[in-house]
Order: sequence, then C-alpha cells, then structure tokens
Amino acid sequence: MLLLLALVAGLLAGLTRAWIRKRQYQTRTLKYLWLVTVGVLPQVAAFFIPGIRDLIPITLVKIFLFLSLMALLAFILVNLRQAGMWIIGTGLASNFWVILVNGGLMPISPETVQRIYPQAAQEFILPGMRLGWSKDIIVPEVNTRFIWLTDKFITPKLWDLQYAFSVGDVIIAIGIFWLLWSLGGPAQHT
Amino acid sequence: MKQIATQLSLLAPRINARTIQLIVLIVTLSLLALGAGAPAGGGSGVPGVGG
Repeated sequence: MLLLLALVAGLLAGLTRAWIRKRQYQTRTLKYLWLVTVGVLPQVAAFFIPGIRDLIPITLVKIFLFLSLMALLAFILVNLRQAGMWIIGTGLASNFWVILVNGGLMPISPETVQRIYPQAAQEFILPGMRLGWSKDIIVPEVNTRFIWLTDKFITPKLWDLQYAFSVGDVIIAIGIFWLLWSLGGPAQHT
Repeated sequence: MKQIATQLSLLAPRINARTIQLIVLIVTLSLLALGAGAPAGGGSGVPGVGG
C-alpha cells in the first residue's frame, strides 16, 4: 500500500510538474527488464498464488526470497544511473540486509502483529511462525538483529487496515516517488 | 524496453509508443516495489483475519 501510494503520488506530482512547466512528461529506458520479472516470479509463487504457496516449505521460501532480492538488486545496479534508482537500491539493500542477518525472512515482533491484527487468533501469531503468507516471520524484539530496520513501524489506521513497514520500505517509496517526479523535469538523455 | 514498446505499438497503432514505454516503466516499478518492499498487513493470509 505504502509503495503503491508512492507510485501514484510520484506519477501525479511528475505529471503536474511537467504540466506547470509546459514540458512533455518523459519516459526512461531501463535495461535488463527481465531481471525484474525473473526476480518477482519466485515471490509471486511463494507469497501470492493460493495452492502453490501452500506447497512451498519455509526453507524454499527463504531461498526464493534470497534469489529474488539478488535479481532485483542486480537490476538496480545495472540501472543505477537513472534518477532515484540509487535511493530504491538503498531501501532494497536495507530490507535485504535485515532479512539476511535474521535468517532469511523479515522479522516482525509479536507486539507489532497484535497491533495490525488485533482480531487474529493467538495460536497463529506465535514467535517463530511465519506471518500468514507474507515475507515476515514473528520474532521477539530481544532476539532480532538490527531491529530498527525491520517491519517495526505501523501506518495510521485507515479503512480498518493497518500495515507494518520498515525503514527500507520508506526509502524505496521515496526512490520511486523521486524517479517519477524527475520525469516531469528537464529532458535528460540516458 | 524500446523494443517492447515498439512491438506493442504495432499491435495497437493508435497508442503512442511513448505512452506504452511509460506504461512498461510503471509496470516495472510496480513489480520492483512488490518484490523489493516488505510491508506486512492488510489481512492477507493470517488465519482469523479477513480481507
């Protein structure tokens, strides 16, 4: 949700910027687009497709996530010269790092889970369990490394939905906003 | 990306190649955000939680 908002806000801000300055909204040519598709596919299988995600053991989920983040990091590195891409890369690296040092999934504390899912059954939010089908694993704060980089922060309550997010997610959102905002600026040849 | 845009604009000649290039960029960024970010919540898949 946070990242989708950044995308929409960046696009609107960039279009408005171009319109005010009477410029044409630009596009960017990104290299190696297949890295994104290849990078996201394992995550789609492991986190989103009912029937498939149920069959994947947690060890394989961690391997999928690792390979996926490596592919996305490679995509960012080959496109690093594009506006905002280094910011997105910093956010991704932050998420990747905290996932790696905490065993392969994004840690979230039981307290945070209770705040975003106050109605969840207690037996499904015990420490050590994966949080539903998400990338998160429930870990007490005392056992979490680099706690400030984890899904520790919570969005305001809107429409009965709340999300936990990390510093990395915020940085990625800023990078996406920046990239789309920059397309409304002076023409650049990349 | 230019090749994808050109191919798609051949299929739908009324759509500007630049527009398609922009759509490809936005789809790419959406996928990148989906894969790179890790917000949790929204009731997805947690037993006892709807949505």
